[in-house]
Amino acid sequence: MTVLSRPAATITLRTARRWAYENLFSSPANSVLTVLTLLVIGVALFGVLRFAFFSAEWEVIVVNRRQFFVGRYPVEEVFRAWIVVFMISGMAGLSLGLWSKPGVRTAAALGILLIPVFLFIRGGEVAALTAGAVGLFVLSHVAARAVVEWRENVDLLRTLTIVSWLIAFLVAMFILGEVPRLLWGGLLLTMILAVAGIVLSFPLGILLALGRASTFPVVRIFCVGYIEIIRGVPLITLLFMAQFILPLMIEPERSISALGFSVPITGYEMDNVVRALAAVTLFSAAYLAEVIRGGLQAVPRGQVEAAKALGLSTTTILALIVLPQALRAVIPSLVGQFISLFKDTSLVAIAGLTDLLGVTRTVTAQQAFIGKQAEVLLFAALLYWIVAFSMSRASQRLERILGVGER
Amino acid sequence: MAVHDGTGVKRAGTMLGLWRDVRVQRFLFQVLFAAAVIVVGYILATNLTRELGNLNLEAFPFVNVSGSFPFINLTPSFLEQRAGFGIQETSFGTEYSANNSYGDAYVIGLLNTVRVAVIGIALATVLGFVVGVSRLSANWLVSQVAMLYVEVFRNIPLAIQLIFWLTVVVLRLPRIENAPEFGGFAVVSNRAIAMPWATTGDGLGVWLLLLVVAAVAAVGVYRYRARSEERTGSPRHPAWWALATFSVIAVGSFYIAGAPLGFDRPALENRRVMGGLSFSPEFIALLIGLVVYTGTFIAEIVRGSILAISKGQSEAAAALGLSTVQRLRFVILPQAMRIIIPPLTNQYLNLTKNSSLAIFVAYPDIFKVASISLNQTGQAVPLIILVMLTYLTMSLLTSLVMGIVNRRLQVPT
Repeated sequence: MTVLSRPAATITLRTARRWAYENLFSSPANSVLTVLTLLVIGVALFGVLRFAFFSAEWEVIVVNRRQFFVGRYPVEEVFRAWIVVFMISGMAGLSLGLWSKPGVRTAAALGILLIPVFLFIRGGEVAALTAGAVGLFVLSHVAARAVVEWRENVDLLRTLTIVSWLIAFLVAMFILGEVPRLLWGGLLLTMILAVAGIVLSFPLGILLALGRASTFPVVRIFCVGYIEIIRGVPLITLLFMAQFILPLMIEPERSISALGFSVPITGYEMDNVVRALAAVTLFSAAYLAEVIRGGLQAVPRGQVEAAKALGLSTTTILALIVLPQALRAVIPSLVGQFISLFKDTSLVAIAGLTDLLGVTRTVTAQQAFIGKQAEVLLFAALLYWIVAFSMSRASQRLERILGVGER
Repeated sequence: MAVHDGTGVKRAGTMLGLWRDVRVQRFLFQVLFAAAVIVVGYILATNLTRELGNLNLEAFPFVNVSGSFPFINLTPSFLEQRAGFGIQETSFGTEYSANNSYGDAYVIGLLNTVRVAVIGIALATVLGFVVGVSRLSANWLVSQVAMLYVEVFRNIPLAIQLIFWLTVVVLRLPRIENAPEFGGFAVVSNRAIAMPWATTGDGLGVWLLLLVVAAVAAVGVYRYRARSEERTGSPRHPAWWALATFSVIAVGSFYIAGAPLGFDRPALENRRVMGGLSFSPEFIALLIGLVVYTGTFIAEIVRGSILAISKGQSEAAAALGLSTVQRLRFVILPQAMRIIIPPLTNQYLNLTKNSSLAIFVAYPDIFKVASISLNQTGQAVPLIILVMLTYLTMSLLTSLVMGIVNRRLQVPT
């Protein structure tokens, strides 16, 4: 295997020719391969460009643009979503600045990615707000960089940022929650489901992983059973279970009688969003548990023994010695799991929710836009892709910064 | 819960309370845990049975409480009722009509799932290996295209991809009236996609038997020629001889057995595809979607595993004069396979589970059939339990098979 080399930075004709010779035409077979690949690329590029600029009618996206982003969220309440967007872009800029070097390539890539989204913006207000959010992102990034340059030690700031992400989640849920859950939709609902699923399933996953590694046989058997059963069935069955069975289990008629006692209980009304969230959380927790278990196994035994020798309690050992090391070792897999959780939220569309995928179904059913599946699906796919791809890139960067595997 | 055992050492002679004994604490904790699980489970189950009772449904028709040994109902009564809905697509030559029972419909769905999963696994493996190797190709263009494919299709939800393949690609193929026939080798239309397939005749068993004989003879010839080559040192071309032996016997016996295998080409007749092997648009869309999506993950696994093989191996092979393909085939892949198999198994399981997304393209797999049955009968609990058990069994079987493969590929000791 020859390691591929990148095009030289200073491209003169001669270096370009040498590069082409080494990387494209090194042997007859290679040359044939290159020509064939070029043909395929040409045909594909031609098709895509012809579709994007000539045969596609993007009117369907422009008309339904609000649907894609917030679903049926009331127009006069959309400012709530904007507050959250501003919050996130500020925090994201801050975090990026605190944790990594200024990435010109990343910024450029993100900018290019957002162009197709910008193309569908209509109205000065939205454009101004979007520009404001981007500006806030850049500003907080620059500010964070300045702080990093100024202070050598930014550990405290980093810890604060992590804590404030959690607080931001609660604040965001509070701000958005003023609108009935059934009106949530589009990318907004997808993001809420994904983020809430991550926040809720993470502690559950840690507990399950600890339970699986526990020395209590009863606890271990319970956790192993849960993890293996959930991992053996498709998410869609859990969604159906949450849809049809869960409400019967925990929406009792006023009282539950068990073992001769009758406990009065007010029936908790679960709407579709909560049901779907329950399924996504229970599902994701089992997978997270397996990832975290890998991390637990990677913590050297000596760490625990040393902690014990210092007289720390079991809980303290877990919280301060074992878990930080275990989680740090598996951060890339954790992010991978979050990405798949994000993609999996699209399945809630069959439970009747209008998440981003659900929106594509309602939009393609509109009389005026019959047969516009290609445009609608490609736009939705692009939105999904931007989020998932940014997450995977962030994880790769994190991996490099943390030097996973080194200690 | 503790990760590491704080094994209790009971200090003899001290008069501590019983509850201070670690063993007692551990025991009590577990009893409490079990009690909590049982109580919560009991409450949920009671709620469920009562609520279902109000709907005149039985929660667990699998459990035969009042009946006799073995207290298990393998076929709850509703599974024997007439299903009353049609299924357009059946696999492996099974027959089904709306007059069949829910149980029959379920089996049809199961076979459909198995068909798409098995074909999908085979194709995704091929695609994944090709792309995974291409990503490491010395040809810059090839590796970039492979990377583009992986990054695009890995980061888009499968459900969106499936709907795209069905509504934008497969359903926009030519209508059946003017479908191209490619000289009888394939029919491509938005109602059916067909390819040539073999037809079997009477003497097939005899011929297969003779094929075994041919194989045995070929092995014998190969061994004889190889030994002769070793003894004399002059080339005896054992492989060619073995191939010739096999072909002569195979072709000869084919006609002796009365040509039991025919070649059936698909053809358009009266706006229907006759002959050959025909696939529905839903099946094709689901298959493409599953293969393209899973292929990205397999490609990444293959790439990672090849990179994990020490560079010295490849260099040593090159020093011995092996070509790129030979290096891959005889040195790198056999070692990489050992790393590949466990995560590959996971991808096979994922593909099987993901085939439940068939509901997005209306392919009648196990889940789709169960959800139709659920809508008609309201038997949510037994049906969901049944579906989950089926998937669990399939997962278990796949893991078992791959476990055997894995053991065979390990370094022989």
